[in-house]
Amino acid sequence: MIRIFLFIILILGSGVWIPPSAEAKVYLDITSPAVRKLPLMIRTPGTPASREIESIVKSDLGFTGLFTFVDPGVPGAEIIADIGVEVSDGFRVTLSLQDLIMNREVLRRRLISSVVRPLAHSISDAIYMTVTGKEGMFRTKITYLVNTAPGRKELQMMDWDGARSRTVTAKGLTSSHCWSQDGKYLLYASGRKRKWKIYIFDLKDFREMTLFTAEGLNMVGGTSRSELVALSSSRDGDSEIFTMDLYGKGFRKITRSFAIDVSPVFSPDGSRIAFVSDRGGTPQIYTMNLQGGDLRRLTFEGSYNTSPSWSPDGKWIAYSGRTHGKNQIFMVQSDGSEIKQLTGSGNNENPSFSPDGFFVAFDSDRDGRRGIYIVSLRDGGEKRITPKKMRASSPEWSPYLK
Amino acid sequence: MKRIAAIVLMVFALGCAKKYTKAPDTAGAPGGLTQEELEAGRIPEESVTEMDIAGRDAAAESDFSLDDQGKSAFKDIYFDYDQYDIRTDARPVLDGIASFLKNSGETNIVIEGHCDDRGTNEYNLALGENRAKSAKNYLVSRGVSPDRIIVITFGEEKPLCMEPAESCWQQNRRAHFVIVKSRFQ
Repeated sequence: MIRIFLFIILILGSGVWIPPSAEAKVYLDITSPAVRKLPLMIRTPGTPASREIESIVKSDLGFTGLFTFVDPGVPGAEIIADIGVEVSDGFRVTLSLQDLIMNREVLRRRLISSVVRPLAHSISDAIYMTVTGKEGMFRTKITYLVNTAPGRKELQMMDWDGARSRTVTAKGLTSSHCWSQDGKYLLYASGRKRKWKIYIFDLKDFREMTLFTAEGLNMVGGTSRSELVALSSSRDGDSEIFTMDLYGKGFRKITRSFAIDVSPVFSPDGSRIAFVSDRGGTPQIYTMNLQGGDLRRLTFEGSYNTSPSWSPDGKWIAYSGRTHGKNQIFMVQSDGSEIKQLTGSGNNENPSFSPDGFFVAFDSDRDGRRGIYIVSLRDGGEKRITPKKMRASSPEWSPYLK
Repeated sequence: MKRIAAIVLMVFALGCAKKYTKAPDTAGAPGGLTQEELEAGRIPEESVTEMDIAGRDAAAESDFSLDDQGKSAFKDIYFDYDQYDIRTDARPVLDGIASFLKNSGETNIVIEGHCDDRGTNEYNLALGENRAKSAKNYLVSRGVSPDRIIVITFGEEKPLCMEPAESCWQQNRRAHFVIVKSRFQ
């Protein structure tokens, strides 16, 4: 019986071992507004593979604005991350985190992968989780559109830092797109052969299927955790909001207005939909419940507010709004009570929250050709993640991925 | 002894349940990955990498565009910013198209709706569709059968003019007409 007991311990504890006394310690309280930076030292054996891993981990953790890096041999570090890398049939990493103040190991983990970048991002996730107690977003992805010719846009997917981009579909003119909440499917609207259809793409098999087809313009908005899909369709005349499930069943009409209603997204709890409507004369952001009732207009400033994206905690809706003749990214509280402006230079559109809620991806023409940028909501740090020569737009951040 | 095992299992079950509710925003994956999780997770990761699909189907499938295939015999009509009603200056063009169609029974027409590039693609696609539909409704009101008209929206995706100036934006806020011989399916 004792053997069984040990066996259970081993299964649950494999790879993770945290001394009971250290379990409660959170080094950085990222929920506090004035969070300090943690001095971290990263040590690797210095081989080419380990240097590459180190540089990816530093780039990941550095962009959070939560860490300062202390070089080996220099005093001042609070935590040391030792990354041992063994290259044989892929990469075998032993990650050990030592708390220099309590003088104890707080994490030891073995990781195996044949691909460097996801391996490095997993190391970043492990360090981030140990230090903050929260899940990191270093293994998430971003889908986006690339303009390859006039009237032709393909859907691509990349790591959150812009690396490892690949084409999902190059057929026709792809427009709106989103992720299923389990991260297993992409949904997108594509104009092909004079028809706008909604497709669902299985990321495991890398296979496309048709999800919804009707006369007119059909565009997918967002998905909910209860596997609902919000879409817009002009099959009955002007564009209205509908919902159905991920299997194309349970089709329901939600809005009935003589106006353009597009870009529906669910609140994180799935109880409301934010969308764009010009029913008041200009495009503005509204929210409603899933029956189309309890309609509330959220934006009143300016005459052009579009592209809502709901924050993971449900408190904010990011959108793109026109001010002084340019489009900028704003955030409005989901009850309409407070507005913040996030961008100021160039035209910035199509915001999308990271699953941890600390970052927003958007597209901008501030450096010439339109590309994808991400901004940290902690410290306002920004970076462009698509190449200067690529014409890219409409980022959609994935949920957490396994 | 069995009771102890049951308690042990319960404790772990409770521990897991608690851990899950702690992070309601997550879709399942805990922060870092254990060896098992990473190995499980690397299968789709790898299958994606191995399937080099970039560009594979670009040539195989359809082009969405139509206007490259047939030059238009008719002028474009223009719309005001964020509007889709037919302006008075568009009526002579539409009246000309209506009488042409009534006198040539074999032909059909594709109406493309376009927008300037300010604003959001999705809203502009809907706006472009409404512009094409306004033109269609006008032609139908002049006696053209709706079966002979197909509308397509390109939103802001096919601008004629790329300068950030009103004169240019006006050229892009248009409906474009393409006469086609073939019947629509």
